[in-house]
Amino acid sequence: MVEDVNENTTVFPGEVIKDVKAVKGVTILGPGLKRNEDPPNTLRITRAGKLQFKPPNIYWVSHNHKRYIPKRGDLVVGIIVKKAGDSLRIDIGSGEYASLSMLAFEGATKKQKPDVQVGDVIYGKLLNAHREMEPELVCVDSYFKAGKMGPLSNDGFVFTVSLGLVHRLLDPENPILTALGKVFPYEIAVGMNGKVWVNGRNTKEVLTVLRCLETAELHDDKVIVELCRQSK
Amino acid sequence: MSSEDLLVCLPGQRLCLSDHTHVSGQGTYERQGYIYSTLAGTVDIVDKDNVKIIEVHTSGKQTLVPSQGDIVTAQIHTITQQFCKCHIKCIGDKVLGRHYRGILRREDVRVTEKDRVEIYKSFRPGDVILARVLPITEAHTYQLSTAENELGVVTAHSEHGHLMVPISWTEMQCSKTFVKEARKVAKVVPESVQQGLNEN
Repeated sequence: MVEDVNENTTVFPGEVIKDVKAVKGVTILGPGLKRNEDPPNTLRITRAGKLQFKPPNIYWVSHNHKRYIPKRGDLVVGIIVKKAGDSLRIDIGSGEYASLSMLAFEGATKKQKPDVQVGDVIYGKLLNAHREMEPELVCVDSYFKAGKMGPLSNDGFVFTVSLGLVHRLLDPENPILTALGKVFPYEIAVGMNGKVWVNGRNTKEVLTVLRCLETAELHDDKVIVELCRQSK
Repeated sequence: MSSEDLLVCLPGQRLCLSDHTHVSGQGTYERQGYIYSTLAGTVDIVDKDNVKIIEVHTSGKQTLVPSQGDIVTAQIHTITQQFCKCHIKCIGDKVLGRHYRGILRREDVRVTEKDRVEIYKSFRPGDVILARVLPITEAHTYQLSTAENELGVVTAHSEHGHLMVPISWTEMQCSKTFVKEARKVAKVVPESVQQGLNEN
């Protein structure tokens, strides 16, 4: 039981929160929370982390997990595992492999399918993701334009980071990636599933980016910016 | 019949000649002029209008298999984008001792707009459905179809675990949280109403 909810209350799955604040009977729940029915108007925690509250009525659990749970609309980096007829099976780090239709690429028709092989890296968007079914990926948006999605070059390098770091990197105000970019140019694709694809001019620079992100998991942004400034 | 007269037979055992006085009954079949047994059990001869009906009775339940056109009750256990896999629990109104495997393809879910069907919006794991058996093509798996108004989901539970009530042929509503979920609902007419219709 959690008596008072403040920013840094660490909670575990199964705990129940009472005295939920609501505006006209409406409470907004973010990730990690579910509605509890036994004592009415209580919440049940489903993910371990820190319970956060934003007045007037928004609750969520912020966590730094490694296991990705597919969510609709996420942009993810995946690796092709199998080619089965008209669709590809992609490993996105979730419980089940995702399916990606060969026709879901820009300019693809039944006669002309994209040239992708097993082991290629794909940047795609999750069309739907339910817990009972395998997730479905697409590499085009609703106007059939690819944008930045599609196959990624095989010259790059794919590695896994924790989901907390992914959220930090995707924040536009985060200085890590721009600070690195000032030292040398590189290409990066960050997937919401924790997989990151990096491409650089040579192996040493790619490995530098990799080490930098590994350090960023454990240290603050300022440390990384400082390191980049020094190495310039 | 005393126990010495009891004839025990095996499946495939030839029982007697088939002519106008001997007719094959339950548990037997006729092939090339002879009557053979299909079950392992005891032979029973029933006299009816000067015709002897040869039957074979077995202890325990007779194995019942779905045949084409039967309406079966199945419970869905797996769904994918292309099909649902289910366990066939009853054939007609007879409950089976063991379940059979059934598969329900995306094109057989409904009659109209077959290619725009989304399995996730028609069925979920745990739903109990009424379906019709299509012509049998594969061994051990029965192809099912719910492409009729009276076929589809009969009972389903919501994501919160409560029983859902049908509100239209595409939606069901949870009885506790009132959340609506999409399903392909069967138009099940209650027995009392059906009887009333039949009488009229």
